[in-house]
Amino acid sequence: MNSMTNIKYVSSLVENRFKVIKKEIVSEYQISFEVDKDEVHRLLTLLKLEGWIQLSYLSAIDWINDNEYELVYIVMNWEKPVHVQIRTRISRENPSMDSILPIFPGCKYYEREVHEFFGVKFPGNPEYAKQLILEGWDDIPPLRKDFDPRAYSDAHFAKREYTETFVNLNNEKSKQVKREKRKERIIRVRKGGKK
Amino acid sequence: MRELKLFLGPQHPGMHGNASIHMFVEGDIIKRAFLLPGMLHRGFEKGMERHTWVNNISLIPRVCVVEPDINEMAFAMGVETLANITVPERAHWIRMIVLELARISIHLMAYGGLGSPTGNYTMMYHAHADRNSILNIFEKITGHRVYHQYIVPGGVRKDLPVGIEKDINDFLDDLESRYVEYRDIGIENPTIVPRIKDTIVLPSEVVWELGVTGIGMRSAVNKAYDLRKVMPYARYDQVEFEVPVASYSDARSRVDLKLQELVQSISIIRQCLAKMPEGDVRVPLSRGQSMRWTVPKGHVYSCVESSRGEFGYYMVSNGGTHPYRVGVRGASYPQGLLGIEKYLPGTRIDDAALWVDTMGVCSPEIDR
Amino acid sequence: MESTKFSLLTKEEVDRKWWEIGDFFRRNSLWMLMYCTGCCAIELPPAMTSAYDMERLGMGPMATPRQADVLLVTGYLSLKTLRRLIYTYEQMSEPKYVVGIGSCTINGGIYHDSHAVINQLDQYIPVDVYVAGCMPNTEAVMNGFVDLMRLIKSKKANGWKKYHKNNEWYKKNQIDSLGEVRVKDEFHD
Repeated sequence: MNSMTNIKYVSSLVENRFKVIKKEIVSEYQISFEVDKDEVHRLLTLLKLEGWIQLSYLSAIDWINDNEYELVYIVMNWEKPVHVQIRTRISRENPSMDSILPIFPGCKYYEREVHEFFGVKFPGNPEYAKQLILEGWDDIPPLRKDFDPRAYSDAHFAKREYTETFVNLNNEKSKQVKREKRKERIIRVRKGGKK
Repeated sequence: MRELKLFLGPQHPGMHGNASIHMFVEGDIIKRAFLLPGMLHRGFEKGMERHTWVNNISLIPRVCVVEPDINEMAFAMGVETLANITVPERAHWIRMIVLELARISIHLMAYGGLGSPTGNYTMMYHAHADRNSILNIFEKITGHRVYHQYIVPGGVRKDLPVGIEKDINDFLDDLESRYVEYRDIGIENPTIVPRIKDTIVLPSEVVWELGVTGIGMRSAVNKAYDLRKVMPYARYDQVEFEVPVASYSDARSRVDLKLQELVQSISIIRQCLAKMPEGDVRVPLSRGQSMRWTVPKGHVYSCVESSRGEFGYYMVSNGGTHPYRVGVRGASYPQGLLGIEKYLPGTRIDDAALWVDTMGVCSPEIDR
Repeated sequence: MESTKFSLLTKEEVDRKWWEIGDFFRRNSLWMLMYCTGCCAIELPPAMTSAYDMERLGMGPMATPRQADVLLVTGYLSLKTLRRLIYTYEQMSEPKYVVGIGSCTINGGIYHDSHAVINQLDQYIPVDVYVAGCMPNTEAVMNGFVDLMRLIKSKKANGWKKYHKNNEWYKKNQIDSLGEVRVKDEFHD
């Protein structure tokens, strides 16, 4: 297979001309670059000229602990089959990123969706602020990490009530302590800590 | 002439799924149109962050209702890439059988769905009856008709039941014997052909502008751009099949390609049944509790070829038991939103339903 | 000449007899509205076409709400759909019946903690029959329709009467969850 040569090709293409913060070869058909915010447009233009003509996906990730959003652009070349992820970080306070509408017209609705679910502004896209999927939304954008859908659901929608009874078969103190520890460990692992 | 506002959907027999096309019409001609998505918004991407990697197996098939198996496949492939799991050989072949059966089922459903806007109900009844036989086969393999939860990270949930080869072969023989009849009642039928020929043309030079993939793209650009060919997953590089293409993309040629793909799928399933090795079908994910199974840090975009195009999952793990972010690239996002806005103006009102059907606009995967 | 048989009956009794006759015809020819609100609608095409053949129960699909008898709520309801569903329900002519398919209509199902999906359908419109399952088999859906016919026969399918009687309660619930029932977007203004 010549798939690794494609990866090498795109890797040298990007690394010779741009300052890549982090490079990662995900699989034999996929490579990811993390670049600076200002270089995204030039990089996407270069890739489009080299044959990465299809915008596959555009979205954002909320890194709430770093106080940053990460924007992801994925482009695809069908002649040299490689998906290229381009990631960049923008500030979480008043997030804004210039639209890539002149490069990939297909991004129009992706950007509207990112604005709706994360609140990232896209100057250059005339319709980015219009509501797309939600209707009459009155809370913070729902895909942010600090939004709690359970609390929203409890406040807005009536729940069916069930009668539940729990019986603790063993009420010894040592058992209670064990239960508490187990709960703590589950929460710690959930957040990405060690087992 | 006065400009009128007109809905197509959500409550409309010609509309597939719960979405609405808002149109501004003059006489019979659409002047402006846009899709109003969001009627099926369930907050999937948020919900998946709130479930563990293993819990999510039960959630993902519900992203796209008509073709659930591709969701499971894309999710499983992504998790396997992140966690570096090697899938047993037999599981790859079983996955291919399930995926291709699902492809036949959705092509039949789309073919039958074309019957309702064109008024040819014979098509609809034939296609849905055959699709029901596939659902029965699925029920034997996986235990459920529609949402299978069968392809899981690390393989498939269970081995194929004994004697299922006969059922599958019987069905395929039956379908193949009636293939000519299928073409005759549908796309070769002189009462339907004038309705679907030369309507809803997608010019080849604008395909990349929209980002359309799948049959919509292949019918316009005349190139075999199929993810199964260009970046083969599972064991698609070990079976022989062709990717049907065309150079003129109107409603009829797209439906024609769907029927040709159906023949290819039949041949793929036969090859799979013949070449399938014996062995394990699943590797255990973790030694301890699977609910506390963690996935290493990383970003991955995994995609498969659905009946409508490239269907992908973008997954981010921070090393915890829960996914940090899961994004879904619905295959019908480009043709559903931008395609309707740009290419419906200038066509007639009754052709809007043809665009939705032949380009394959699946509203649940747009809304998530 | 006045009929002696009917002159003995009061007006209520005559009305009741006419309703019984009406119910007989109604339950043997139910027209269901084709509105696929959620994913359980995917089991309806097999039920309608040759595999299960719904028409042997006297049921058929109807395209417009004003001519339909049964509103099928097939699965989860996002807020955006609920607005349209209330529109549709109020447009249907009486008597009208509602069948809730799937566990999402009962208690939210798998989307119980989602920010966009309601949890309990009968807070917003009255429901006559629930079909449980995620998603229910075609046989279960058909069984639900048979149950609905039985309920009409025994005069228990009177959800539309409840909607008149407790209209204020339903309206309050709708407004609590939706904010405003009227659809407002660039197309409607």
